[in-house]
Amino acid sequence: MSTIDPVAKSEVVPENAPAGGSFWQRTEAVLESLAERLNPILVKEARQALKSKQFMITFSLLLLAGWGWSFLGISFLTPGIYYAPGGPFMLIGYFLILTIPMMVIAPFSAFRSLASECEDGTFELLSITALSSRQIVTGKLGSALLQMLVYYSALSPCIAFTYLLRGVDIATIFWILAFTLLNGIGLAAVGLTVATISRVRHWQTFLAVALLLALLFVTFLWCYTIGAVIGMSQLPAYETSSFWIMLFGWFTIYVAYTVMFVLAAAAQINFASDNRSTKLRVVMVCQQALIVGWLIYFGIESSAPGNIFLFVPLILLGLHWVVMGALMIGEMPQLSPRVLRSLPQTLVGRMLFGWFAPGSGTGYLFAATNLFAASLVVVAAGALAQAYSTATFPPDSKVAGAGLLIVSYVVGYLGIARLLILLMRKVTHAGLLHSFIVVVFLAIGSSLGPFFLQLVISDFTETGYTLLQIPNWAWSIYELTDNGFTPEISAGTLIVAPLCAALVFIINLATCTGEVSVDRIATPQRVVDDEIELHPEKAPKTPEPTDPWLRWEQEEAAAAKAAPESPDANG
Amino acid sequence: MVSGPPVIELRRLHRSFGLTKAVDDVTFEVQRGEVFGYIGPNGAGKTTSMRILATLDLPTYGDALVDGFSVINDPDRVRRRLGFMPDYFGAYANVTCREYLDFFARSYGLRGSERRRAISQAMSFTRLDGLAEKPTLGLSKGMKQRLCLARATIHDPSVLILDEPAAGLDPRARIELREMIRALAAEGKSVLVSSHILTELAEMCDRVGIIELGRLLAVGTVAEIQAGQRQHNLVQVRVIGGAQNLGRWLEEQGGISQIRLDGELAHFTHEGDRQAEAALLREMITAGFEVIEFGCKQVSLEDVFMRVTEGAVQ
Repeated sequence: MSTIDPVAKSEVVPENAPAGGSFWQRTEAVLESLAERLNPILVKEARQALKSKQFMITFSLLLLAGWGWSFLGISFLTPGIYYAPGGPFMLIGYFLILTIPMMVIAPFSAFRSLASECEDGTFELLSITALSSRQIVTGKLGSALLQMLVYYSALSPCIAFTYLLRGVDIATIFWILAFTLLNGIGLAAVGLTVATISRVRHWQTFLAVALLLALLFVTFLWCYTIGAVIGMSQLPAYETSSFWIMLFGWFTIYVAYTVMFVLAAAAQINFASDNRSTKLRVVMVCQQALIVGWLIYFGIESSAPGNIFLFVPLILLGLHWVVMGALMIGEMPQLSPRVLRSLPQTLVGRMLFGWFAPGSGTGYLFAATNLFAASLVVVAAGALAQAYSTATFPPDSKVAGAGLLIVSYVVGYLGIARLLILLMRKVTHAGLLHSFIVVVFLAIGSSLGPFFLQLVISDFTETGYTLLQIPNWAWSIYELTDNGFTPEISAGTLIVAPLCAALVFIINLATCTGEVSVDRIATPQRVVDDEIELHPEKAPKTPEPTDPWLRWEQEEAAAAKAAPESPDANG
Repeated sequence: MVSGPPVIELRRLHRSFGLTKAVDDVTFEVQRGEVFGYIGPNGAGKTTSMRILATLDLPTYGDALVDGFSVINDPDRVRRRLGFMPDYFGAYANVTCREYLDFFARSYGLRGSERRRAISQAMSFTRLDGLAEKPTLGLSKGMKQRLCLARATIHDPSVLILDEPAAGLDPRARIELREMIRALAAEGKSVLVSSHILTELAEMCDRVGIIELGRLLAVGTVAEIQAGQRQHNLVQVRVIGGAQNLGRWLEEQGGISQIRLDGELAHFTHEGDRQAEAALLREMITAGFEVIEFGCKQVSLEDVFMRVTEGAVQ
């Protein structure tokens, strides 16, 4: 046996597949072949879960609760159940029973599953196998999905029963269950990301409590929404195209964020020298495109007041890039030789894709330029909408002002946070968590600080917006959107905030030149050889000679080399 | 042991935790098929350097190569070639021994019959056949160690890193483990093994490295290190008619100290190599002493360890 990647040489077709067996034998062989391709984590966790007490108890309780509600609900509805539809009432009960395991237990189990690997030391054993960090995370996510499907199977007869009781159509049941499943998967992805934030035990405990509370809160909101939909008969309009477009829009954004959480969790547990940032940055750009695109689309299509569809995307984009930027500015500015091997080589490549390379400076510029570009698009969309739409849109200068303020504050405060992180690194280690905390403190301090300062200076008499509030991002944006171009805003904030942001941006630009001026390095020959050994199909092929004489010479030489030596030659 | 490029290579490896230097400028190489013993007191830096080699930690400075691949830049390639047995078990609940090995075999990309064959071979090699369906958490210490070794070798790695594999084992289990390690080395695998049981390392290892306070103090075969430490050898001489006169004679000789007389026996410490010892015996006989026994106490690895290290901890 050799130690060369067994994946490359392992066969896909099962060896025990009978050539001409019965249908069931062939099916079994195919299933076995598929099982070989399953994620090992999924296989292991499924085996473990089927034997675990936690799963048995949850499953049994779910069954009991389902049966219990069946009897209890019917007894409540009797005798009206014989002549009035009882489906919605029963469905609400089953839905409430199902959401707890789907949206609380399964996502929390996913969190615990990864966290306990770190606590028990098994994660280290896992991380040195051939499994990639993404496989580890998707395996855990797959395990959570499997768990959810088993929970569904426990309550599926009960849910089918609600249809027989009338009052709720199959499409509604399907959508409610599908959305609950998608929510469960999304929350499990969040749980996995949370599990990777810290490996310190007391932090893990804190994160576990915080996650549990968040899951309960989200579940409550979801139950409340679905309860309202079912109970108040606000059924979606399936026949309208806008419903399907909205569903598709929601789904694309959902997928983008779930993928981001999965990639973020995988990046957190990946080895340090690997590129942990570029894939996430690509997803961030996709998210931005989706948010901007869909909100503008719905803004133009909808007859609702336009300010929702212009200010909301601006604020969402601001929040999006503050959070993403806060994490990116915590990345280390030095690139590992492994990352340097894959940097773009050409001038155009470096100009376009250099910002996707990991690093604190590139991260800052990436966030700042993306937010600026997205805000420009929103403002342009606002101007177009004002010109062509029948909806009531706010004056475009107000949207432009809000966009300018949001960009200025995000660029300014992210830049200040990055400079603080650079200073911190001169004395201690500072990573993603530190940069995130710095940004949160800056955001809170810059809004509450000037507010209280003004109150104290004026002896608690001045409560209106003054020039002292220029650093106060929250009040300034609110003041512009609510009261428009007041003298303080137009003559003060709208001039000072962008100028300060530009100054901070220039300082940051100067400090990150080192990050973008690095050159690609050659991959070591040992690595190249190993790659060819693993994937022979990727090996660079020697070009065929176009000269027929040269080709003839080469063929002759090859034939002479292949021919056995004659005995005379030795003599 | 096969000569050629080293399979394991530590190049000026440093690892600091705050102000503590866990590994301080460690450099050594291990050849293919070689068993290299890593010896040091608790907190010397053995586990830290082994974890760096196993790609579980990063050096502060320096690099380590496995089969020519850097543990910093190409850990994925290192991992395919590496089997690591840490000083803890790392078991999963509700999993049998076979399922445990099956999981790791799958994780290393083994499929179908290849995986089944690897599991069977690993269980047979570690003599775990009879415990295949037993839960991993119910295993004894010795069986857990065997299962760990089976897991570390399931993908047929060319390099094995074993951190304290014999800790807590009974004598029989230790002997069996030693045989297994020698068998693995005979297959051409390079083995880096740390242990506190020095006598075992002396028997098992082709070369050893002694580390203390993160610094590598000595590297070489046990004989080489012993030779390096034979500057203060304990010599025992038996002469006919009592050793009183010999004692007085020895006091006049240079390089002799700690003389202790016991009837016909004289014990003393002699500074010098083997030639110096032969010269001393020759002079004794020339001086008229009827020497019937002249022996230098064989310096064991434990003696060497005690002399080289100072027992300091960080």
